[in-house]
Amino acid sequence: MHVEFNGVAKTFGSKRALDIPSWILENGDVVGLVGSNGAGKTTFLRILLDLVQADRGQVLLNGKDVRRQSRWRAQTGAFLDRSFLIDYLTIPEYLDFVGATFGLTRKQTSEALEPFASFLPLSKVDRRRLIRDLSTGNAKKVGILAALFITPKLIVLDEPFANLDPPSQMHLKQILSELAADPERSMIISSHDLGHVTEVCGRITLLHAGEIQKDLQTNTDTLAQLHAWFKEEGVVSAT
Amino acid sequence: MKARQGRFVRVLVGFLLVYAAVVLVTLGLFFDRFSMTLLPDAPPVEIVNQSLVATFITLFFLRFLLQKTPRMKVVPYLHLPIQQHRLVTFFQTASLLSVHNIYPLFFFIPFWMRFVVAGDSIEGNLMWIGAIMLLILSSHFANLLVRGILRRQVGVFYLLMTILIGTAYIDEVAGVGLQQRMSGFMFTDLLSGSATSLVLFLAWAFFVMVASTFHLARSLSDPEGEHGEKLPDAHSFQVPDDWGILGHLVRSELLLMWRNRRPRHYLLLSIFFSTFYLVLMLSSGDVFGGVAFPALLGLFASGGFVLNYGQLMFGWDAANYQALITRNIAFHTMVLAKLIVLRTSCLLLFLLSLPLFIALRPDLVALHTAFLFYNVGITSALVMELATRNKQRLDVTRGGGFFNFEGISARHMLWIIPTALPPVLFLQAMHESPDLGLTILALIGLGSLIFTEPLTRYFARGLRVRKHTMVEGFTVHAR
Repeated sequence: MHVEFNGVAKTFGSKRALDIPSWILENGDVVGLVGSNGAGKTTFLRILLDLVQADRGQVLLNGKDVRRQSRWRAQTGAFLDRSFLIDYLTIPEYLDFVGATFGLTRKQTSEALEPFASFLPLSKVDRRRLIRDLSTGNAKKVGILAALFITPKLIVLDEPFANLDPPSQMHLKQILSELAADPERSMIISSHDLGHVTEVCGRITLLHAGEIQKDLQTNTDTLAQLHAWFKEEGVVSAT
Repeated sequence: MKARQGRFVRVLVGFLLVYAAVVLVTLGLFFDRFSMTLLPDAPPVEIVNQSLVATFITLFFLRFLLQKTPRMKVVPYLHLPIQQHRLVTFFQTASLLSVHNIYPLFFFIPFWMRFVVAGDSIEGNLMWIGAIMLLILSSHFANLLVRGILRRQVGVFYLLMTILIGTAYIDEVAGVGLQQRMSGFMFTDLLSGSATSLVLFLAWAFFVMVASTFHLARSLSDPEGEHGEKLPDAHSFQVPDDWGILGHLVRSELLLMWRNRRPRHYLLLSIFFSTFYLVLMLSSGDVFGGVAFPALLGLFASGGFVLNYGQLMFGWDAANYQALITRNIAFHTMVLAKLIVLRTSCLLLFLLSLPLFIALRPDLVALHTAFLFYNVGITSALVMELATRNKQRLDVTRGGGFFNFEGISARHMLWIIPTALPPVLFLQAMHESPDLGLTILALIGLGSLIFTEPLTRYFARGLRVRKHTMVEGFTVHAR
């Protein structure tokens, strides 16, 4: 999916949260969104998903303003935080629900989930436990799974690696790499984990105080460049 | 604006608390005037004595719906160097300061001073009020005990309570009066100076107090605690795949109301109103007279759930709202699913209360039927209009006690005017041709069903327009 930010700006009170004159994500791009706390990453994603209204500018998905039409939702899988889950449902109930939003029957949902069994083996989870009673890590896995199994054209994830155990992080990286192979599919992954994000993403957008500081194609030097930048800005030591 | 609304609600809650206390004190002091209208020949003490068992069963049921256990209050202190039994004893004792224990006293103490103390036996008079205190105490600890034991089998409790209250009701309707006679015997016996019943009450209070304290202490070492709610058969309730996302949304709404404390309370209180409370209302004869009271009864008998639960819809979803609106779900479908739930509730409550109308007030069956159609067509739509403007996050895990006003603003309070006033005024205007009035009311409700599609589109448009403010409100209040 093609994503375009045109002159998007947002302030909360007197604080500038985001100011992006222009930013484009081409079909097939996998971009990592990095930055310190308060850099504007989550605001960026929430404006993209039309959860927050920008003060000015527009976000276009495949050329259509996200605020004016909602067809993009049929092609988007997103997980930002626990509010993207329905916490009074069990895991199978929630996944069936998500499947139904894409017109899948329960059987089709079950089949669509099979390729993700290594990430969240449904045969081993307690199928009667409510999502609100899951640990943070397991709830995150459910949210990520719900965003991915419908094989959307745009995947939006906020801090997907945080709170996951190392095997799950490895499985997730593997899954994201496989999904990235589709040239029509784009991904935006926000993360504080520079190692993971440079490993998975072909491009890194660095946000600072609501502005894009760097937009890099990932190569063997990117991780070192990012570390150097954060060190120079004193963000690493400050956090 | 929000601060003003918060102040308004606090003032209102304070007023209601004082008002309820004044009503109970007045009822206690002047019970003879009240009882004279119902049973002119019976002395007030006799009437109260015969009703005490039924009253305490009903109060116990209400406690179960509304009163929390102290378990969650104890948990945060467990890591401190305080002995667990001290914590348990402290919080068990502190839990006695509950409105469920204090408010009954606003009636019983003035009643006792005015009517019971006038009796001959001082010991009997003291034993009578002592027995009342013990019953309140037992009811309190029995509730904590039963809640603890049945927290994963709540359905069993409702079944048992329904059987118990149903039996009491049959006992009353069939004219056996066993419960009345038993209640009357025990408390009259106390007044005569015999301590047998008091010893029984004392033993019972002691037993439930010790048992609930013991159970609370034991449950604290249960690793799953209250967060380990496992559903006995969550998959027994499915919707056919053909129903698509609409079916899933309806199912999700039903699960929301059953698996979360406050919405469940609203559901159960609506059922309670349409059954047990309705019996009281319908049995009141023409005490209230006129058109307004029967009209309000009709409105609430089948529309109680719509008015209670429906007014906070979308607010119930606050914690999960982003899960809904970032998914491929049209606002139109969301509204339709909620309308289906509201309208179906009218039909179910109508069917539930219909036998009571037939048995107790057959002359009001036509009114009950007319209001079914009115509630399905008009009340549901009016409440949906209110609901699509909700933008305060609700904590659905908190109880739905009478004084939990979270999410309820001045608008919610005032909405009863456009909801209740028009049908009442209309029926008043038509009081000389009541059948015609009811027919027109029913036809208005039925006729409005034709406009379901444009209404749904209208509500969906409202949700679209207010989407960002709703998301902001639902998120801000979470912090």
